[in-house]
Amino acid sequence: MPTLTIDGRQIESPEGSTVIQAAEKLGVFVPRYCYHPGLSIAGNCRICLVEVEKNPKLQIACNTPVAEGMVVHTKSAKVEEGRRSVLEFLLANHPLDCPVCDQSGECDLQNFYMNFGLYDPRFREQKVKKKKAVAVGPHVMLDQERCILCSRCERFTDEISKTGEFGIFQRGDRAQVGLYPGQQLDNRYSANVVDICPVGALTERDFRFKARVWYLSSAPTVCNGCAQGCNVDIHYVLDRPHLNDGARILRLKPRYNEHVNQWWMCDEGRYGFGWVDKGRLKKVRHQGRDATWEQAIAAIAAELDQIRQNGTGSTLGVMASTQLTNEELFLVREIFQGVLGARVAVSGPRPPGDSDDFLIKADKNPNTHGAALVGLSDHSAPTSASIIDDAVQGRLEALWVFGHDLTTLADEKTLEELSRRLRLFVFSGTNDNPTVRWSHWVLPTSAYVEKDGTFVNSRGRVQRIGVAFPPLPNSREDWSVLLEIARQLNHPLAWRNPQEIFQAMAQTLAPFAGLTYDALASQGAGAATP
Amino acid sequence: MNLEALEPQARDIIRRYDQRRAAVLPLLWLVQENFGYVSSEAEFWVGRLVGIAVSHVREVVSFYTMYRTQPAGRRELRVCTSLPCVLRGAEGVLGRLKQRLSIGPGETTPGGELTLTEVECLCACEIAPMAQLDEQFVGPLDGASLEALVREALRDPKASGQIQEPQPFIDTSGPVLSTRFKDPEGTWLDAYVADQGYVAAKKALSMTPAQIIDEVLRANLRGLGGAGFPTGRKWSFIPKDNPKPKYLVVNADEGEPGTFKDRYILERDPHALLEGMLIAAYTIGSHKAYVYIRGEYFRPAKRFQRAVDEAYARGWLGKNIQGSGFDLDVVVHRGAGAYICGEETALLSSLEGGKGFPKLKPPFPAISGLFQCPTIVNNVETLACVPFILREGAERFAALGTPKQGGTRLFSVSGHVNRPGLYEAPVGVTLREMIDKHAGGVRGGRRIKAVIPGGISAKVLTADEIDVKMDFDSLMAAGTMAGSAGVIVMDDTTSMVEALQSAVKFFAHESCGQCSPCREGTGWVNRIMHRIVEGQGRLQDLDDLLGIARAMEGKTICVFADAAAWPIQSYITKFRAEFEEFIRTGRRVPQEVAECRP
Repeated sequence: MPTLTIDGRQIESPEGSTVIQAAEKLGVFVPRYCYHPGLSIAGNCRICLVEVEKNPKLQIACNTPVAEGMVVHTKSAKVEEGRRSVLEFLLANHPLDCPVCDQSGECDLQNFYMNFGLYDPRFREQKVKKKKAVAVGPHVMLDQERCILCSRCERFTDEISKTGEFGIFQRGDRAQVGLYPGQQLDNRYSANVVDICPVGALTERDFRFKARVWYLSSAPTVCNGCAQGCNVDIHYVLDRPHLNDGARILRLKPRYNEHVNQWWMCDEGRYGFGWVDKGRLKKVRHQGRDATWEQAIAAIAAELDQIRQNGTGSTLGVMASTQLTNEELFLVREIFQGVLGARVAVSGPRPPGDSDDFLIKADKNPNTHGAALVGLSDHSAPTSASIIDDAVQGRLEALWVFGHDLTTLADEKTLEELSRRLRLFVFSGTNDNPTVRWSHWVLPTSAYVEKDGTFVNSRGRVQRIGVAFPPLPNSREDWSVLLEIARQLNHPLAWRNPQEIFQAMAQTLAPFAGLTYDALASQGAGAATP
Repeated sequence: MNLEALEPQARDIIRRYDQRRAAVLPLLWLVQENFGYVSSEAEFWVGRLVGIAVSHVREVVSFYTMYRTQPAGRRELRVCTSLPCVLRGAEGVLGRLKQRLSIGPGETTPGGELTLTEVECLCACEIAPMAQLDEQFVGPLDGASLEALVREALRDPKASGQIQEPQPFIDTSGPVLSTRFKDPEGTWLDAYVADQGYVAAKKALSMTPAQIIDEVLRANLRGLGGAGFPTGRKWSFIPKDNPKPKYLVVNADEGEPGTFKDRYILERDPHALLEGMLIAAYTIGSHKAYVYIRGEYFRPAKRFQRAVDEAYARGWLGKNIQGSGFDLDVVVHRGAGAYICGEETALLSSLEGGKGFPKLKPPFPAISGLFQCPTIVNNVETLACVPFILREGAERFAALGTPKQGGTRLFSVSGHVNRPGLYEAPVGVTLREMIDKHAGGVRGGRRIKAVIPGGISAKVLTADEIDVKMDFDSLMAAGTMAGSAGVIVMDDTTSMVEALQSAVKFFAHESCGQCSPCREGTGWVNRIMHRIVEGQGRLQDLDDLLGIARAMEGKTICVFADAAAWPIQSYITKFRAEFEEFIRTGRRVPQEVAECRP
């Protein structure tokens, strides 16, 4: 492996790797526009110029292979002058409309100019006019004047989505990025081009003008849109309710995970967050009237205790959900199966959809694999349909539904009848649905971004979802509801939070053996395979 | 637009190439030749045939100047406005045409007879000021010939008469390259063979590649496209253990303003090139050669194709050439209007069916070039020297030149000389001899003001800098370059401000737009120069121009940006007083010569 020296420090870098990669390993940041680790090398922006000793010209770090004994300077006067020149050229025809540009604050043209730029511009000519604010697809807005022609978007649609929409037309300073006339950027990964656009040429139509990016907070989590479990960052605002009609989440951005989604995510997942701030259940309700959590837990626990006392656990049906975390499913197993002997089905509230050979999975629920690893979906487990069937046939006295919409399994008349016949009918979930009005108790629970826990994706990767922000007032995490039920059932469990539940899982469930939240860190870990 | 009817031809075209995508340019040509323009429907059709997204077809169509996306006039008149034509009155030609036709560049006469187009150098500077009517070059365009041209251009092409062929000064004295230039109709196989043609090829086929490389190295043959790299060494870079096919690619994308040598080889002595190609291909182990001819060279491409057909028919191409067991196929490929494709890796990108974007190096073409295979790109004139070397011996060729550069080369002389034309001379000829002895001196007995020795990219020399030999090393030592040996002579009536404006306009028009310093820099200096010429200049502009030129240098994928910077630096540095006076007074040329300007 060649050893080279970058800014006076030695680093080993594999044969075939480039100076920009070696510098990154050293923690030396070399500015870049066209270079993107997930795309082919274009070498056109010229901002990553570095000085390589014995070479009269500056070299681009992104395409210079490392070599034994190579000596590289990334901060010499010659390099800084080169970068200044390149920035001056890049800004020559740039409209400098930062005050009205949505990219402001996360624009590499701004950022690098602040760091390396020439503060006394010489350009006094008429700038080339191109098209602005062109909606090129359902999610993406194009501003040709802001574009620095780095070709990242074109390489994305060629190499990653393989849909080929983008092109760079004309030549010289007339060159412009765009689509073939009449075509739309409507592939299922289209908004990734916004993420990789280093400037304000491509912006998100959904996010545009909703908030300045410096008001955004960010938290890492995992997309719950399908079983792929793409790693994402949630960008949210809590303290400026006027910005987005009070909705806290402003946008999702893919977060790099080599094993799951690399740098990318699908549009469906990206724009699937609306439910977190819309149509949420906000109050505990009992038979159409407001109630308190204390009343609810006490009353429900009393009913469940009755079942336990009677030894009639099989008359309690539970419809657990693959939207729940592993930790919550583990509690479902411990309490409903273990303590109460209930019939527990687990399934995904979201019906299957289509899939592709990249990131989109047919299973639109994030934790189907986890439910299996927790042991809730083996061959003996009932299906959701059979639980409903049991209820309809009068074999159930109590039913707890975790977020499902039963109208997908039975008509409203049947639900009305069940509502009358059952002694206990609990709905716990995040959002309103047609089942809510037939349940006796409605428990508003937290969305996945409001609670800690883990999901296991379809390929067996255990990933922590973290907590982006606290639950809505008056809603509770499912795990905390379940722990409280256990306590009231006089079967207190020793765990106080998801991390402790996970530790218990790691001790008792083989697939999680040896794993800890620390070990999962930000990139997750593979579940043990038997 | 019945595209289906073209499918058999399209399939034949695609079959010529080792990758389908490479057929994009010829397929677009096929469409345009049949329908007059490339419609949207046709772009989808081409994309489907070669398996690429239509956006990438549009990229190609929009990158090259010769493809039209709208129907145009029955005929097209392309008027050159590059420096060599400007020096001989191109502005007046365009002005008279606009007046006579009542249309501007980019427009079509109301009756649909003619589309007028302003173009950069068509590489026919020996007949400047010139234009191209459809496929034919016409010039020099003085009053009478201009009127004849307009009449012809407005006539129905079916009923068209013949425009008189220009009769420029074309050297035929040899000894290496020009001996068969005598017949304007070209030297064909029988005549070529009668003149010792293919003797060298026959000899080469009995030699080992190493022996041939040694011979070419000892001949001191250097790349005559302009870079001057030793040809034998270039050939030796082809890896011997690489199992991929090897390609020979001929750079016939002659485009450097002031240069018109390769066209004469293609038109008048095409077998010299073919024989050189055969030897080169044999040497590097290539069985497929592509000849990339610039789009505007219609007749040169047709003539060269005729030579290729002859060679196939007579066993000098194809399988088992002359019983040697060596096979070689040659494909003639046409560009579509982009100077940058003369840069060897841009040429390869273009040949692969893309925009003419120079490629990142490494890898170098000899390792990974056309279709990611080992490739040698040689210029037409370079290859045309090779038969002489093998036939007459390396020593004889070397002795013609200087110690480090053998042979002769074809000097294209244009601008303010009495006999603009093409002259073969030993590479060590001085610039003064070239101008005075060969090109007949400066017109009207005027004084030389400046000379560009090697195409528009070369730094300009002043009148007292022309006692310099014209080989690569001597001109480099003189701070300029031999380049393509396009000598552009400017007499004392020349406005250096206007000359520079013409040069920077060219580079702004031809930058591929890939690298930011070049894309933005060429446009920027063009706008500054335009402003200066319009009388809105500031003295600060001169330092800004020099600063921008310096910032463009050495920062891009290819040397186009450097080439664009050199004229700026040399014109302003060497003629600064004239630039300053222009900015202050608006006078185009120094007062003492202004009155006697023709």
